[in-house]
Amino acid sequence: MSAELPLRANLVVLENIAVVPQYVQNLSYLDAADVAWNLLLQVGYADAAYKRDPALTHEERFVAKLLRAVVGRPDLLLIDRPAMLLPDTRYPPFVDDVLRRLDDRLNHCWILDYRWNEPLYAPR
Amino acid sequence: MERAPVRAPLIKNLQFKVGLLLSLTVLLALGLVFYGLYARGLFEPTQTLNLTAPDAEGVSVGMPVSFSGFPIGEVKKMDLSEDGKVLIEVAIPKRDAKWLRHNSQFTLEKGLIGSARIKAHTADLRERPLVDGATLPLLTGEDPTDIAVIKQRVQTLLDNVVAMTQAEAPINRTLGHVETMTGRMAGEYGVLGGVMGSPEKARQVVKIIEQANTLMGNVNGISLKVDGMLAKADTQVFGPDGVMDHTRQSVATVNRMLGEVRESLKKADAILASAQTASADVAVITGNVKEATTDMAQLRVEIDDSVRKVNHLINEINKKWPFARDVEIRTP
Amino acid sequence: MRGCYDSRMAWLSDFLIRRGTAALALLRTWQGILRFAAQALIAASTPAAYNSATRMVVMKQIYFTAWQILLPFTLFAALLSFVLIQIVVSTAARIGQSDFALEMSMRILVLEILPLVTALFVALRSSSAINTEVALMRIHNEIDALEEAGVDTLRMEFMPRVIGGVVSVLALTAITSVLALVLAYLAVYGFQLWSLPDFTRVMGKVFDAAIMTGIWLKSLAFGLAVTIIPVAEGLATPRMLFMAPISVLRGMVRLFFVLMLIEVASLAFKYI
Repeated sequence: MSAELPLRANLVVLENIAVVPQYVQNLSYLDAADVAWNLLLQVGYADAAYKRDPALTHEERFVAKLLRAVVGRPDLLLIDRPAMLLPDTRYPPFVDDVLRRLDDRLNHCWILDYRWNEPLYAPR
Repeated sequence: MERAPVRAPLIKNLQFKVGLLLSLTVLLALGLVFYGLYARGLFEPTQTLNLTAPDAEGVSVGMPVSFSGFPIGEVKKMDLSEDGKVLIEVAIPKRDAKWLRHNSQFTLEKGLIGSARIKAHTADLRERPLVDGATLPLLTGEDPTDIAVIKQRVQTLLDNVVAMTQAEAPINRTLGHVETMTGRMAGEYGVLGGVMGSPEKARQVVKIIEQANTLMGNVNGISLKVDGMLAKADTQVFGPDGVMDHTRQSVATVNRMLGEVRESLKKADAILASAQTASADVAVITGNVKEATTDMAQLRVEIDDSVRKVNHLINEINKKWPFARDVEIRTP
Repeated sequence: MRGCYDSRMAWLSDFLIRRGTAALALLRTWQGILRFAAQALIAASTPAAYNSATRMVVMKQIYFTAWQILLPFTLFAALLSFVLIQIVVSTAARIGQSDFALEMSMRILVLEILPLVTALFVALRSSSAINTEVALMRIHNEIDALEEAGVDTLRMEFMPRVIGGVVSVLALTAITSVLALVLAYLAVYGFQLWSLPDFTRVMGKVFDAAIMTGIWLKSLAFGLAVTIIPVAEGLATPRMLFMAPISVLRGMVRLFFVLMLIEVASLAFKYI
């Protein structure tokens, strides 16, 4: 996920996430919406489910993009420069928190960031 | 796994609306197609009728066959038969086949403009009905219902033409007269010759007029001289030695001569009168001759005038003639 | 002297290169449009391409393109039809050819004007919107984002638009055509049903199989044109925001050109 890959502007967050299982697994809309809804519940952002892109906060947009990437169960999740997605947040703890909640759905996760931001992350 | 909350959809009854629109469209489209096919008579059970014609010029596939002006079928296909005739297959809806009988006639009509048409004629609807696949000839001549009438009319017309062209036919005579007339008019004396009947007569009329004119000229001269003399010789004339007796004799002679002039002028008058009636007749035949009539009328007025003047002169002379003079007055 | 000649040659070769580049670009554009048309048609004719999301987008497209304008457009088409039928009927009466009034109304309206007006209306309303949306999607990188997430954008966004456009144009054409036929009947025969056989006869004369097929093919071509061209044009937009209006402008001009070409071709096919 990256700042250069935006959400589909005319779909709400739930639909943006659900559209992936609709296409990848040929789920019906309702089933796909359930999947998306449960993911949103898991990270605690169900409030944002029916918001569209311009109405989202940076955190909500980050979560939406992350879930859209996660729902396809990729082998590798790459977060490209999270600072660009979360400009007003102290983002390493936030990203850590979200990723921990999604632990059961992730295989590998790489965060790509500048070396000078390294001290911000907790040591692993 | 928790169910996602069902949210009121953004567009109410989207599926219903789209479904309604789609079914309406399909319904209308199919309806239009079926109506079109029905209008083309596709669902109509038809029977075939084969028409044979020596010449199918103007016949085309899809051409309607009409009965009393109503379309009751159309040409389906055309082919040449073994004997070189044209086979025209016509599809007649069963519904309309009742108008056709085994002896119905089919004609191909070609107007001066527009396409040709095949017409069906049934003389007697009580005859046996037309069977499916029947073969009938296509008449490419005239409409048979009118043929008898047209034949009669043409016969009458031909009779008239024959009568007219016979040697003693009135129109021939008339034409002969017209020819003589125009021949004469073309001659030396023109219209006058035409009206008068022959160049001789016309010449006579012209001569009369000339003579009358000369006469008038002479008489005029005489009267001038006489006037002059009268002034001088008044006393001598009316002297007591009986000059007047001679004079009276001469005057009587002149009088007689002038009487003759008058007579001949009357003759001219008569000729002119007859000429005028003739010209009136001619006017019926040819309009041109009308001018001739007015010419003649003018001529007549002139001659009348001359006669009047001569008469007047004679009266004068009768009153005043003093001498026995040798005056030559030629009779016409 | 020699320098002048050289500069002229340079100008000429420069001119030729520019023209050639422009011609090639134009060729590439049309090639792109045709390629997209082929892809969309193949996708549309593959049953596996339809899933719940695609169906939803198709329905939304039909809703936005056809349902929303159904009532106003039908009223407009009725007004236009009524006026044209009146003109045809009164003109035919004046030149003593009243028999042809109905046939002429049918030919003018159902065969030519209504499909074209429908296509133009949809083009004006939906094609411009589609072109803008696709151009913005392309500029904002939304297409790549979806592809990245494993969503086939052709199936999700573009093919449904094409289907929606085709269906909408067909639906609007069918509805307005039937309305025009009813109006023509009323204008020629008045408010009674007894002349229906007469009407049917004229219908049969005008609408033979070839004409029917022609109308549907033409409407289909219109429907494809009003969606394929704007989508392809939007997809070809360079990723710069200021190119969006230029993309829409080009798409609309090309669309108009293609619509007219289809109409002229159908006329030529029918009457020549």
